[in-house]
Amino acid sequence: MADATNTAVPGETVPTDVAAVGAPAGAADAGAPLIRVEGLHKTFGELEVLKGIDLTVMPGEVVTIIGASGSGKSTLLRCLNLLERPDAGHVWFRDQDLTAERCDVNALREHIGMVFQGFNLFNNMDVLDNCTLAPVTLKKMTKPEAEKVALEHLASVGLEQFAHANVGRLSGGQKQRVAIARALCMNPEIMLFDEPTSALDPEIVGEVLEVMRTLADGGMTMVVVTHEMDFARNVSDRVVFMDRGVICEEGSPEQIFGAPEHERTREFLARYLAS
Amino acid sequence: MNALSRLIAFGRADHRYVYLGTSAIAAAGLLVSQQNPTPLSFLIHGGLVQDAMWAILWIWLVLSAAALVTKLMYGRAYAEKSPFAVKPGTPAAICLRYLSLFVAGITLIFIIDRIVLGTVALAQVSAAAESNPTGFLPSLIYMTARSGDLFLHGIGTTVGLATFGTIIAFFLSILFVFLRIQQFDLIDNDAVRFAKTVGRGFAKFYSTVVRGTPMMVQGALIFYAGYGVLLGLGLDTGQANEIWSAFTAGLVTISLNSTAYMMEVLRGGIESVDPGQAEAARSLGLSQWQAMRKVVFPQGVKNAIPALTNELIINMKDSSVLSIIGVFDLMYATTTVAGIYYRQMEVYCVAMVVYLVLTLVAGRLLEAFGRKLGAEATSTLLSSN
Repeated sequence: MADATNTAVPGETVPTDVAAVGAPAGAADAGAPLIRVEGLHKTFGELEVLKGIDLTVMPGEVVTIIGASGSGKSTLLRCLNLLERPDAGHVWFRDQDLTAERCDVNALREHIGMVFQGFNLFNNMDVLDNCTLAPVTLKKMTKPEAEKVALEHLASVGLEQFAHANVGRLSGGQKQRVAIARALCMNPEIMLFDEPTSALDPEIVGEVLEVMRTLADGGMTMVVVTHEMDFARNVSDRVVFMDRGVICEEGSPEQIFGAPEHERTREFLARYLAS
Repeated sequence: MNALSRLIAFGRADHRYVYLGTSAIAAAGLLVSQQNPTPLSFLIHGGLVQDAMWAILWIWLVLSAAALVTKLMYGRAYAEKSPFAVKPGTPAAICLRYLSLFVAGITLIFIIDRIVLGTVALAQVSAAAESNPTGFLPSLIYMTARSGDLFLHGIGTTVGLATFGTIIAFFLSILFVFLRIQQFDLIDNDAVRFAKTVGRGFAKFYSTVVRGTPMMVQGALIFYAGYGVLLGLGLDTGQANEIWSAFTAGLVTISLNSTAYMMEVLRGGIESVDPGQAEAARSLGLSQWQAMRKVVFPQGVKNAIPALTNELIINMKDSSVLSIIGVFDLMYATTTVAGIYYRQMEVYCVAMVVYLVLTLVAGRLLEAFGRKLGAEATSTLLSSN
């Protein structure tokens, strides 16, 4: 499947098809967006990082957010599960407003997986415990059940033989794959990726992207902040270009990479694709 | 063990400055041998063995002097021309090495004979003396031997106070640091926010007051306050003394005092944990409390262990101020002995040495303990790998 998308560079139709196949799985809310962002503002001190963001993510959709460093991509992503509290605006997950007063954010976060640039594996546990901590703590799953699920997910990222390894002994690529498996153990409806390959050596970026690609092909809804333009072009259904705290342009990969409308998008892509 | 194997390796090797170094040893041996033999000396004064030993030391010195003369004569060409310059590995070099070790051995025998056994003899005489001798060392030994019980009692109290005080403080500081590091969470209601504010404020206030005042004053205050409370409850002096002894008040003081310091150490350890750890836990849906308990806190405590164990050593020393309220610790014992004999210098030297030994031993034990904690964490991972 992954190879198929790889070779189908000109067509770009395969991922869209996968998304279309994935969507009926949640047939009940086929028409309803999974995440809806409205008028999001965020300020750090004097610096206004987000200046009114509107974004919708449909079930089964893979959205990549690209843009220069400091454009607010990561902040936007971190607002989606309220790791950053927005100053103004709303974030809806299905029909629940995360930004509402006294919203049970913890319960909603169980459905929103997140993968960080710095992996953030729990250093005081081994790989398997990293994966089972949340299911056992939150879902009242028994430890053996959680371990069975965790081992399946670790196998899907190719790391089941490292189940009892100290996280300190894994390579960066292995850490990030464990982080993905850890998030999947909560059986999330959407996965957020915050520059998942930016802290990795170039030669091991591929193994992480491969896992993400398989995940996308399986119909997972994903929002990916990345500098990997090939991934954005080949795997995503929609590309969002952010610049200085606003969404400058969004559209299909063909549109953004083939015929960008804005000058800023063109400049950015020219710089990235040249290097 | 390591030092011993290094010493053996040193003895087995050829050294460039073998004449100079061994001459220093030989000279030291001759100097020591000039001391008067003591009743325990096994070398017979003027005997053949001792004269032979002297002769060997002198021979080495003469040999070295001759080598020095040739070095001054030949300068840079010493290695080629001097008959004293030996090449490593040759039979001559091996002979020289054994002779050098022999010289060192003779010096060691002189040191044992005169200094070690001399001290033992002095200790025997001093300890058995009818009255306090006038000399510094004899008097020190006399008083230590006569007041051994007092010193041992004091040492026991000091070690007990420091150990139990630190353990109690550790558990209290865990409770306090939880209050100290509470932060508002998105889902907290006003009651929770109020409780967190009060808890944090209390912990902060406690830390400021305790760390900003001397433990001596705290000890006096706690001792007399507790005493006053018991009297106020209608107990008579004897009953109050029985319940609220100086030791109990001292233990309470040292525990409460150490709690404040350990709380700050723990806070530092917790704050040094990467914020990403808590974020990852929160992103999975764990509450602030769950993330703290399962992820951040264990790592923070581990970070703080070296500094926490240091508290035991500090308490070992600082418990001395509690002698002000009459806790019979090492300091109190020392003052008592000094009062009995009216000799201060000698007994306070004893106290100094004992405190130093206590802190060194505690430091070594804690180091091993900390290593074991760290090693345990890795070894379980290794065994399951």
